[in-house]
Amino acid sequence: MSKLVTGDGRTHIESSLMRESLVDRRVIAKTDSENELAIMPDVVLVGIGGQSIFDRGKAAVMPLVEELRRLRDARREGRPGAPPPMVLGVGGGTRVRHTVSVALDLGIPTGGVAQLVGAMEEANAVFLNALLAKHGSIVMQREHFWELPLYLESGMLPIVISIPPYHFWEPPPEDGPLPAHGSDFGLFVHAEVLGMKRIVFVKDEDGLFDKDPKKHADAKLVPRTTLGELLEHMPEELAIDRQLFTCWQRARHVEQVQIINGLVPGQLTKALAGEPVGTVITRS
Amino acid sequence: MHDTKHERRRITSKLVDATLTTGGMPAGLDYSPVAMMPDVRVLKIGGQSIMDRGREALYPILDEIVAAKDRHKLLLCCGGGTRARHIYAIASDLEMPTGVLAALGGYVPRQNARMLQMLLAKHGGLYILHDDFEKLPLYFRLGCIPIMTGMPPFGYWEKPTKGGRIPEHRTDAGVFLTAEALGCKRAIFVKDEDGLFTNDPKKDPKAEHIPRITAKELLERDLPDLVVERVVLEYMQRSRFCTEIQIVNGLKKRQLTRALEGEDVGTVITR
Repeated sequence: MSKLVTGDGRTHIESSLMRESLVDRRVIAKTDSENELAIMPDVVLVGIGGQSIFDRGKAAVMPLVEELRRLRDARREGRPGAPPPMVLGVGGGTRVRHTVSVALDLGIPTGGVAQLVGAMEEANAVFLNALLAKHGSIVMQREHFWELPLYLESGMLPIVISIPPYHFWEPPPEDGPLPAHGSDFGLFVHAEVLGMKRIVFVKDEDGLFDKDPKKHADAKLVPRTTLGELLEHMPEELAIDRQLFTCWQRARHVEQVQIINGLVPGQLTKALAGEPVGTVITRS
Repeated sequence: MHDTKHERRRITSKLVDATLTTGGMPAGLDYSPVAMMPDVRVLKIGGQSIMDRGREALYPILDEIVAAKDRHKLLLCCGGGTRARHIYAIASDLEMPTGVLAALGGYVPRQNARMLQMLLAKHGGLYILHDDFEKLPLYFRLGCIPIMTGMPPFGYWEKPTKGGRIPEHRTDAGVFLTAEALGCKRAIFVKDEDGLFTNDPKKDPKAEHIPRITAKELLERDLPDLVVERVVLEYMQRSRFCTEIQIVNGLKKRQLTRALEGEDVGTVITR
């Protein structure tokens, strides 16, 4: 039984943090340790691009849906070399840009913009769920966070909400009016808090380039890099939220982020099998 | 090049080609954000400093709140306190990730908010969730006192903490961000000290009171301990609306009332 401690007008429960200032760096350091519980380490998070995949419609989405179905079946049947359990997330795409553009023009404050953008991603989650429902997909609501093991154990394909729930409470951005915590970041923290090691982002280019390949014909593919190298030579135009890389520096679980081309059939299957297709970014 | 039938169907807007991930002001946009409800007084009721003291500390504060509620739109946000510390201690011992601590730590301020609601119910005390935020105008129009947790809704999505496990965004950050979202210039923190001192007044009786200081100065001093969560001072450097926080002593009669009337009692930390 924990003891109740009184005597200074307040009632405390005895603990290593009793009466302490949680702002004190020395106190914060006491809560650190080398290891951290990995809640679901074998699960791989797959983020599917909004603008890059969904906004292309049937031609891009349907082959990917078919690939996801095959992966899920292979996993259920437990064949040798079966893919790891997957959690899916989706981006919002061009409608997010339009939302932000209109909202900023109207003078909506940053937190208000953050409150709005999630809706466009949820719409894509509903699209994906409608296509995959007969193959066992389910859109996971935030309050059902701890039902993830149930879905995976029963062989389902959970689709999580990718935008983090910062909403009106989005911290003031370092630079400019745009909310910094987007869907790539949201999926990253989701993977990290559950102790996942790998994230695969499915986009419409062969990986990460030194500049935007849609604007520059001479853009070069970076097949393999590390977080450290990337932070040192950050490309001006990035296919992934910058905030993800900042956060990765203090993360403990995510070891690898892979960016692949979802327009190339079979690339997701290869990535899940551990093949270095696209761009592989490792933590060290 | 990919097949044309694979083309992205895009909506034309000023941001259609912009990289949303690099920050900065998008070209061609003239941005001046509106303050949603700048006249709301956002108040934080301390967990350890007020709630854990029980009736003796809280009841006189509630009297001041009830007396002020028809003059001001008051939004009460609750801190956690010793039970949150207990949760963080146990969860750290079990080596849980920061996001789990943030989600678990969220339970305690919600309990405190519910207690406040029960005590203020007959005066219009209303327990609200983050999802009720957009209904604030209605609550104020009805003369209610909305009461919510001080924790921001980040929960499991809280970033890992560098060099520890305690979430960086707790109830101070949540209260500050609430004021910023509403477009309020100042957030008021009700604690059990007159504000900021040169040292912890609970441990050092010679500590001197600091009535006014800038967040920048506090950050530059790089003290190991601070009177508010570090991120609040950092965010104050780049916020659009909330550029001041005031820390008042709820145990001293009328200090909160004077703060609500705009007096610079306690400590005022400006940008």
